[in-house]
Amino acid sequence: MTTLRPFTCNDMYKFNNVNLDPLTETYGLSFYMQYLAHWPEYFQVAESPSGEIMGYIMGKAEGHGENWHGHVTALTVSPEYRRLGVAATLMNFLEDVSEKKRAYFVDLFVRVSNKVAINMYTNLGYIVYRTVLEYYSGDPDEDAYDMRKACSRDVKQKSVIPLKNPVRPEDVE
Amino acid sequence: MASKVHVQDNSVVERRLRPIYEWLDSGNNKKALQECDKVLKKTPNLLCAKALKALSILRMGREAECVSILDSLIEDSPGDDATLQAMTLCYRELQQQEQICTLYENAIKLDPANEEFHTQLFMSYVRIGDFKLQQQSALNLYKLKPKNPYYCWAVMSVVQQATRGSGEFDSTKRGVLLSLAERMIDKLIAESKLDAEQEVQLYLMILELQDKLEEALQVLNGPLGDKLVCSSVNLYKLPYLTKLRKWSDVNLICKGILIESMDRWDIWKEYIASVFELMKADVVDEERREENHANGECELEYVDDTPEKAHEFICRLVENGDDNGYLLRGPYLARFELCSNLIRQGIDSGDLLGDVMELFIEYFRKFGHRSCCVSDLRIYLALLDGERRIELANRLIKDVGISSTSVPQTEQQMQRHLCSLQLSRLCSNHRNLSSDHLAALVTAFSLHYQHGYQTYGLNLLYTDQGPSDPYAILAAHILYDLSESTQSSKPIITALVLLENLLMKSPCSFNAKLLSLRLFHTIGAGIGAHQVYETLDLKHLQMDSLGYSHCARLPTTGLLTLTATLLDSTLKFFSSNYKDSSDHLTFCYKYGSFIKLNDFMDFREKLNNSFHYTMVAVDRIILNIVQCTSIDSLYNANILPKDNNIEWEKLRDNHDLSVYISWDPERIESTPEDAREIKDLFIQNVHFLKLRTHILWALSASVNIIKSHDSARNSCVDTLRGVQKDWADIYHKISTTKSVPIKQNLVTSPLPSRLHSHLDCRYFEILGQLFNLFVNISVEDTANCGAIVTDVQSNFKRLTGVVVDLVGQQRRSGDCYWKRRSVLETVVNAVEIISLSATICLLCNDLAKPPQNKRSKKKMDASTKCVLNDLASVIKNELNTIDSCLENWTLPDEFDLSDRLALLNLSANGQNSVIENIVNSHTTAVKELRTLLKAKLKMLSG
Repeated sequence: MTTLRPFTCNDMYKFNNVNLDPLTETYGLSFYMQYLAHWPEYFQVAESPSGEIMGYIMGKAEGHGENWHGHVTALTVSPEYRRLGVAATLMNFLEDVSEKKRAYFVDLFVRVSNKVAINMYTNLGYIVYRTVLEYYSGDPDEDAYDMRKACSRDVKQKSVIPLKNPVRPEDVE
Repeated sequence: MASKVHVQDNSVVERRLRPIYEWLDSGNNKKALQECDKVLKKTPNLLCAKALKALSILRMGREAECVSILDSLIEDSPGDDATLQAMTLCYRELQQQEQICTLYENAIKLDPANEEFHTQLFMSYVRIGDFKLQQQSALNLYKLKPKNPYYCWAVMSVVQQATRGSGEFDSTKRGVLLSLAERMIDKLIAESKLDAEQEVQLYLMILELQDKLEEALQVLNGPLGDKLVCSSVNLYKLPYLTKLRKWSDVNLICKGILIESMDRWDIWKEYIASVFELMKADVVDEERREENHANGECELEYVDDTPEKAHEFICRLVENGDDNGYLLRGPYLARFELCSNLIRQGIDSGDLLGDVMELFIEYFRKFGHRSCCVSDLRIYLALLDGERRIELANRLIKDVGISSTSVPQTEQQMQRHLCSLQLSRLCSNHRNLSSDHLAALVTAFSLHYQHGYQTYGLNLLYTDQGPSDPYAILAAHILYDLSESTQSSKPIITALVLLENLLMKSPCSFNAKLLSLRLFHTIGAGIGAHQVYETLDLKHLQMDSLGYSHCARLPTTGLLTLTATLLDSTLKFFSSNYKDSSDHLTFCYKYGSFIKLNDFMDFREKLNNSFHYTMVAVDRIILNIVQCTSIDSLYNANILPKDNNIEWEKLRDNHDLSVYISWDPERIESTPEDAREIKDLFIQNVHFLKLRTHILWALSASVNIIKSHDSARNSCVDTLRGVQKDWADIYHKISTTKSVPIKQNLVTSPLPSRLHSHLDCRYFEILGQLFNLFVNISVEDTANCGAIVTDVQSNFKRLTGVVVDLVGQQRRSGDCYWKRRSVLETVVNAVEIISLSATICLLCNDLAKPPQNKRSKKKMDASTKCVLNDLASVIKNELNTIDSCLENWTLPDEFDLSDRLALLNLSANGQNSVIENIVNSHTTAVKELRTLLKAKLKMLSG
């Protein structure tokens, strides 16, 4: 039960029920504003019938040639609205936009410890493309999985052949 | 010499400057400055090095020096990118955006064909919001380089003139400007140049603003519509079709979308609204009706123009089953929407949907194990009257089947139990229960919480919320009800212990933290509140949306050091953001996202006019003055908040109240932000802020009088008199308006405005009189001075009398926490008034003192001296009275809750830490206030 609509600045005043959750980062304003201005079509919010924010997705399109792809920067769903398919709806939307932009694939980074999320992405058709060592800083640093799903433009599914060796964060992008 | 630098090899210059940039980037401004000086020694006329020196100096806090370097740089007419950029940074950080415009205007004169300079100039106009100059510079740019984006910048600048510039309040101008913008785009279309998605969006926006919706639809249906690659054309059309009341089209488009994705709630609402419009208007032409009969099989070939057809449509989608493997709530909730529309139209919903009650029961049976079930159903509880709500509550609880002697057998059953309890509270089932009954509920919920934790909550991640946590939150809410109905603090402290227990097990439960924060403040325990606030780890915009919950109260708790830290960190967010916010507007132009520009501008206004921001700014300055140990620091301090640029009419309440979880029946009627009490509270807060800001204005005017010389003094005195008059006017207006403190019956309501205690404490009567004294001394009219001091003295006596009484009552009362918050607030206010009075008294002294440099033999007028001595001893006297009253104000560190806690099966450990925390708050506050009083005493005697 979702109203999907573009994220607006005012939503930053309303997303506390989502962002107070410890796994969701609250960024500085400029970060959100950059995304809103640069990739407005990729920044969507899922609203409940009672008008609360259930979750949102932030993304972008980048890369050259066959590396032209959609990227999920942040995806989050408030604890109250989990296990209702909200994340899947938001991911579908982002994949749809990436298709329209003729991207070759969609990718995202996830903590290797975040089993719930990895499971969900796998169910949505994502594979672990490679491991990025010590991508998340902290104590200790944590590795990330770079997960990918091919778009229809990548007919031969070249973008989703997993790499054998892990990479360092500086080798990404 | 300057021209010599220009021909110098760029790579050499670059190599020399690089270390400076590196030091600046790493925040080492001192090193950067040293490096600048080194480079300038070798190449004294390297403008970029000078500009970077200005930046380094500015970042070291030496504003005036920076400005003088910048001024001299301007005379050199810098024309290279690096220098201009460094200067731009300086002006940005100095908040002198206009200077950036001048800078690039001059640079373009030197190098008229430089595309980068033109772009920078355009962006600098965007930052200051000069739409007309934006338009001109964009057109100049387009002439230079005929690129579409530049042209569209000009078009958007015209749109902005229409909506936010000269056309904002002048509909003729608005019309002219918008039609100009439209023609500009038409020209682009005629030349077949309109291409990008953003450009089409801009065109549609212009048509929308002129209400040319038919035209907009034509655009969407034509070749330009195909250029909207990333948006769905159907979704674009819907609002236009709705506005044009083309209900058949709305209906069909919605059906199409819903068949694809039946969980789109916005579309369900549009769909059902269209059904009723169609029914009302009966406009479906006969032809379509015929088709309906002929082609009954294909969904999208006929419109649904009766509730019956809508119901069939919903049922068909329900039968088609799930999507994504989840049971979707869409069609089930659509039935409620249909029902609510039927009732609104005065049509009996029973024939079609049966008893409304059964809809609720059915929904609960399907989704009761999901926590969102409560907020889903909440919006439709208005369909039931009071009695039927109670009936519903009882049926739901019965349906779950948990009696007073049983516990949930599965996690799902527990979730359903929670859901039924929360809905039951929403249905007013907890109202009008006896205290004993409420206490029994608390016990039951606390036990359920512990059982749920033991059974389903043990192996959770640190970041998870416990599945049974909502029981404890519910229990805490009922404990708050109990404290209100019995006017006792025991239930509140019990609730704090319960929440502390919860937070040990689920350290990330923000609901528990927000509630604890509120409860600690309810009893005036600032340290406890502050500890909880810290664990919330609020960042960035949350400072504005949630900071109020703490900043509005901490200053009343007497914890001066903590308050200063909190206010500083809050202000840091606001002021740095203010600098950035104009940049955000330039992003929109940079990426051509014109549709976001309006949103960005509204947001900027909302943030900069935040009431909370302004209040914190004022509080910080007042606290500074209250704490200053010598009068000299006052002369150098900036006393005016927000550069004295408060737009009172635009002040906004940005506090997010919806985040506080609540199952109070009041939530059925409206969102908390829209409640009338909250609007009233905001008005009270603004009044309070206005009164408080007048103190600063008066102080600032007084300081200016002291600083002024003979000739200018009169006008300074007039300024102070003007402030006093305004102050008196608004004080009388506000004090005669009956403003009732916001009711405290709901735990999620904010605490009362500080206005009430401000008025009770006679700020205006005392401080206003002291400023009168100041004026009299400054014009050497000492006739009334004695009378003023007598008047101040009697007002002081009254104030300290109240303080002494309140504290005494508090000490003797059996419940030492219940009224502690308001007593403490009074005490803090009294200390503040006395501290400010001491400051004004010293200002009077400085004013009356003959200027030192003139070595005039004239001594201070004897009668003035006498008056001021009297005043000082009056203040000292009150200082001592309050100090000795505080000396004896202690809290017992024993507070027995064991009977209550035993009922909840909670250990006494939690109790000790909560009580310790409260006592600690109290002792610290009293100590800090007494230290302050002693410092003031010293200052007056010095």
